[in-house]
Amino acid sequence: MIKIALPAGDLRPPIGRLLSSCGLRVEGYAEGSRSYRLAVEGREDVAARVFREKDIPIQVALGNYDLGVCSLAWVKEIQARFKQRAIVPLRDLELGALSLVAMGATSACDRLDKLGSLPVVRIASDYPNLADAFAKSARLARYRVQGVWGAAEAYPPEDADVAIVAVSNPDALSERGLAPLFELLHSSVWLIGNVASLGRRDLSSVLNLFNAANGNGAQPAEVSFPTRADTLGASVPLSTGERDMLRLAIPDGHQQRHVQGALEAAGLLFDGYNGSTPARRPRTDVDGLEVKVIRPHDMPQLVAAGEVDVAITGRDCLMEHLYSFPSSPAAEVLDLQRGQYNLAAVVGESLPANTIGEVMDLWRHEGRDVLRIASEFPATADHYARSRHFWRYQVISIAGASEGFVPEDADLLIEGTETGKTLVENKLKVIDLLYRSTTCVIANKNASLQRRKRIVYDELLTRLRRVSEVPESV
Amino acid sequence: MTDSLRCPGMRDLLPGDMERFRRLEDTFRQVCLGWGYGEVRTPTIEHLHLFTAAGTLSPQMLERVYSFLDWDGWSGERVVLRPDSTIPVARLYREQFASAPVTRLFYVQSVLRFAEGDASREDWQCGVELIGDTQPSGDIELILMASEVLSRLGLPAELKLSDPGILRSLFSAAGLDSEKQLALYDRVLDGDLSALDDVQAALPGAGASLAALLALEGENAAYLGNLRTEIGPSISGIDPVLDELASISDVLSHLELAHRIAPVLVRDFEYYTGPVFYLYVDGQKVGGGGRYDALVSVGDRGSPASGFALDMDALMPLLSGLPSAATGLTTVRPKADDTASLRAAFELARSLRAAGVRVEVGDKTLAPGDVQVVASDAGFELRNNGAEPTSLETVDETVRAIAKSSS
Repeated sequence: MIKIALPAGDLRPPIGRLLSSCGLRVEGYAEGSRSYRLAVEGREDVAARVFREKDIPIQVALGNYDLGVCSLAWVKEIQARFKQRAIVPLRDLELGALSLVAMGATSACDRLDKLGSLPVVRIASDYPNLADAFAKSARLARYRVQGVWGAAEAYPPEDADVAIVAVSNPDALSERGLAPLFELLHSSVWLIGNVASLGRRDLSSVLNLFNAANGNGAQPAEVSFPTRADTLGASVPLSTGERDMLRLAIPDGHQQRHVQGALEAAGLLFDGYNGSTPARRPRTDVDGLEVKVIRPHDMPQLVAAGEVDVAITGRDCLMEHLYSFPSSPAAEVLDLQRGQYNLAAVVGESLPANTIGEVMDLWRHEGRDVLRIASEFPATADHYARSRHFWRYQVISIAGASEGFVPEDADLLIEGTETGKTLVENKLKVIDLLYRSTTCVIANKNASLQRRKRIVYDELLTRLRRVSEVPESV
Repeated sequence: MTDSLRCPGMRDLLPGDMERFRRLEDTFRQVCLGWGYGEVRTPTIEHLHLFTAAGTLSPQMLERVYSFLDWDGWSGERVVLRPDSTIPVARLYREQFASAPVTRLFYVQSVLRFAEGDASREDWQCGVELIGDTQPSGDIELILMASEVLSRLGLPAELKLSDPGILRSLFSAAGLDSEKQLALYDRVLDGDLSALDDVQAALPGAGASLAALLALEGENAAYLGNLRTEIGPSISGIDPVLDELASISDVLSHLELAHRIAPVLVRDFEYYTGPVFYLYVDGQKVGGGGRYDALVSVGDRGSPASGFALDMDALMPLLSGLPSAATGLTTVRPKADDTASLRAAFELARSLRAAGVRVEVGDKTLAPGDVQVVASDAGFELRNNGAEPTSLETVDETVRAIAKSSS
């Protein structure tokens, strides 16, 4: 069986068309099937599995999949940290062209040669390994990399000096107040292969299809990094004085609906905070309040670092942060009692065991050497494995599409479940409950808000507290 | 065969290894204390930014450090498992000794850097740092200390001197910027001596044999004189470099310490700013050091500094032929598992240890030369060197008999 990993998301239709033109008709893929494991028409020797694009090079590097289709930028992100040649880019599929660009705010750090003058350079990126390599190559004396789950372009200038982002048109970001500082990579979608599979398995019946359909024999582009000399020259005027606006972060994604409802019930209307692509900086008529829309996963870290004063996120994200950084000052100040779901340990439905104790006994009896735990919450999964005294285990950090991992690519999931319907659809079941998660307000417990910020904070909490006492209408 | 549970690149040190380790450590400590140095130990975890600033670790080295976010690292700033000892000692100096005109410190600790496969990722070093304005005597002091350690260990060492300032001056005069200098230097170190021809072509004032002389290893200060002649008078900044090396070479020759001078020798081109030396035993590099004035600074002020480190992992196997301290062990065996035998055995063992005898309580198989005492409430039976057993009644009597037999 030749196993191929395909990306979820916006790339499905063009990749689906390309695969069909090659003669690999993956059933339901281009149409957005909810199933993660897809058959290939007329090819019983080929199996396809849908992942978040970011997870594909990891799965191919691990050898769980022989081939994968993903952006070259994600391959380079893995290779920036793990130099071993476990993955090889095979074919440029000439789709999804992107530039990986370091951007700074036009109002602050708008040129690369200003970076060297900053006492600490803050870099936000979905590509933390490349961001780290960028900083090391530039010999930045001191830097912090904020690895984010998305929306890195929203960070400069308040929360980062540089954002390293993948964009199809860097010029479009200038409209959002960003200036390109340095292009690291010109990326497109590639067919990639596992080196060990290429060395010992005959994949030619699939590789030939790609070769016939696509004549581009280009070599993969290399990542460029700045040198120290590139970052020296100009200086950035350092901001002085304390800001007196209260900074609030609100989430996009699946929590947006719950938060939007709570804010509306509290009489807080943020212009632009609606739809599937909300504005990153919604307008508000609340005097003294500044609002930014970012990923809920990234909020606790920004609150802990003092970049954001208040954030509305899920308890799951806060707990994940606290499991990573137990002494963090980020703390829950109000449970909004909305967006409720359970974080649970989940296994395959067919496993003849119904509790974590029974599952462990079963695996011990089977002589299972290593337990594979997949989760979007790796620190939580790690904490769970330790507290349940797992023997040797691997935590597979994933970006999403988690329900498809068990049983082939993981033994156990640490997974959020709202109604249990998705689990049933994917032949999964809950064997242990970690905790109940709801949307909550978080703040820095060590911060001492003064004057206008204190007044705005108290008003915000008062209004939200009233809302939390009324059940969410479903 | 089952897979080892040991992490790749990590080593267990067995009793025999630890004996050699301690012998090396003890000899090194004695030499350092004798030269007026004080021992320090720096933490295993340091801030990454100590090592990332220009002039500290090279980008190639930074790619191999073990860095991570600590449990309180929510700011995104990383920490690192100590990849080098000089930079932490420089930090320690800034924080604890900055007001002292000269500080002499030494350490025995490991550094952790990733290596492929099962190549060592944790390397133990005996290191010395001399911080303050001690030149030119400081460089000579360090070379003599390192040589003394090897001499006391009975290891015949070969000493090589160099100074990256020679090539740095030539490369600058040839119009190369710092990046091109590094690239060219790497080529030369990798054995591509044709890179020096390019430099010679860019320096019309230099003699025809410049590249050939640079590729040589000279035997004494005379070689430096020849090099000076071939370089010609036009290379700015090279005279003090050659003068300093000549001075060191002259003193070492006077002290009958054989050495060679090699202009192309130094791996850490960015790190070192002055004379550098390496030590070899049987052709294998076992240590080295030099001057790195850019690493140690207090405020905006740089402080002259130099140091060396001996590679304990390279040296320990070379000590394998030395006599083992594991010999001369006395075994006390309880005659039975009853309380009275155990009481007698442990009482005798305590008295023997107080008398300076190494004792193991157990049932070890006797080898030639071993002494064994069988203990019971009835007394002690001494078995020595395969001779007839001797019966003894009291603890004192037995201790005296064993002390006599071992003397």
